[in-house]
Amino acid sequence: MTGPGTTLPPLPRVAGDPPRVDRPAPAAHRRAELGAHDRSWAWQVVSGALVLVLVSVHMVAQHFVVPGGLRDFAAVVEWLSNPVVIGVELAFLTTVLWHALLGLRAVLFDFGLSPRAERRLTRFLAAVWVLTVGYGLWLMWVIVAQA
Amino acid sequence: MTHLTSPDRRSSHHAPTGWLDPRGRRLSAIVFVLNRLSGLFIILYLYLHLVVLSLLAGGAASWDGFVAFARSPIVLALDVVLIAGLLLHGLNGIRVALVGVGLVERERALFVALLVVGAVLLAIATIRVFGA
Amino acid sequence: MTELADATTLPVRVLRVRRTPRSGGGGRWSTFDVPAPSPRTTILDALTWARRHLDPTLDVRHSCFHASCGTCAMRVNGREVLACVTPLEGLPDRPVVVEPLRGLDIVSDLVVDLEAVYDALDAVSPPLQRADETASAALCADGEPTRFEDCLECGACVSACPIAAYDAAYAGPPALAAAWRVAQAPRGADVDAALDVADGDQGAWRCHLAFECTAACPVDARPAQAIMRLRGALLRRHIEDRLRRRAGAAHVAEVSP
Repeated sequence: MTGPGTTLPPLPRVAGDPPRVDRPAPAAHRRAELGAHDRSWAWQVVSGALVLVLVSVHMVAQHFVVPGGLRDFAAVVEWLSNPVVIGVELAFLTTVLWHALLGLRAVLFDFGLSPRAERRLTRFLAAVWVLTVGYGLWLMWVIVAQA
Repeated sequence: MTHLTSPDRRSSHHAPTGWLDPRGRRLSAIVFVLNRLSGLFIILYLYLHLVVLSLLAGGAASWDGFVAFARSPIVLALDVVLIAGLLLHGLNGIRVALVGVGLVERERALFVALLVVGAVLLAIATIRVFGA
Repeated sequence: MTELADATTLPVRVLRVRRTPRSGGGGRWSTFDVPAPSPRTTILDALTWARRHLDPTLDVRHSCFHASCGTCAMRVNGREVLACVTPLEGLPDRPVVVEPLRGLDIVSDLVVDLEAVYDALDAVSPPLQRADETASAALCADGEPTRFEDCLECGACVSACPIAAYDAAYAGPPALAAAWRVAQAPRGADVDAALDVADGDQGAWRCHLAFECTAACPVDARPAQAIMRLRGALLRRHIEDRLRRRAGAAHVAEVSP
């Protein structure tokens, strides 16, 4: 912890001072369990930037160009027959879910979970992501099949 | 003297929702809380939206009825609330990303600028939602 | 503060003080009616008067009486202040709520244990070298002296931070601002150790930009701005690292401030 030539002698203890409680440095203790660096903030920013673009595209193309804001069933089927639309909507779903679940994970981590609980939560949320994307894929397939 | 680990002493120490406490908080901190709350509500909305979309699996019979319902003024008003939440969360996210890596030093100026952008976009969206 | 013969003719302020007994157990509130003889009567004046005249079991800690030691940091009406320079006069007419700092173990009443703050600072660098007090402008990249030398280690920023006040694992504003100071002007300290704390999962990336720390700091040490600059420097270090690794060079130990 100290560089060369910088160690200062510890302050002398005055008689009657309470014994100093040596507590383990919290950062070191947790680092050993979790691995050194959690880069989720970086992924949050990256996914957030993508979401900004994709949600704008989605809002305009899905809702704002359509009179009344919603397509009726026939229009939906026709809209989804375009593979570009499918691609963009799929990108939107996967990215917004990724951002959302990362954010939820951050809020839940503030509950002060044990490293094991954190790993479990991360795995659980990853599974939620997979299942929800799967649902989206299934739904799109069902709609396209109606054409 | 003996201390320090009884739960009463550490009462403020581990409150999982401590970040929600608004007492004495200034603007940036309130925005942080709003960012989290808006994020959580958007997640709830997202899943509501996905569930509603399952009506599409039932064909025109179930979907078109929903479309008619979704054009009612209450739903449109809620849509505006949703858009406000998205703008708040998204624009604040820009602020967090730029200020949070030291790319922008003048945090206040950025905040005001994004607030103005958000207000303008919200106004446009409201007109579009109710005008259509 | 001089003893006054008859305090009852003076304007009186009401203080509601959060009490926590030394022996443990739950907290309670004490209400004190204290005289405020002058517009400059401070919270600390009021508390010491209350201790002397009303309740000698009231525990409050202070030292310099002029905002240079940081010992009397506490919350007044929910905001972190140094009690010795907070006049009663500016506060609303309601009972003034006085509480200890958040996020730190309460020893008794308004006295909190700052060991956690000192431990976090030690994890970043050895105690600041007090033989070298002045921050020379030449040591700082942008020509503006780093104010961290002014840090009183009072704990106000820990109490104000929505993360640090509720999660003891977070390194917190004092340690992270110190890490930035170390990165800018190492003076023989171990920069790698400091940056390791800052870059770790309890470090600077847990900051959510509430900026409450800077707002609460009684000496304008601006820890939030230090954390933002630290994050920028860490990011640049990562990018440089990757570029150098591609070029086959060694790991970059230093940070360009």
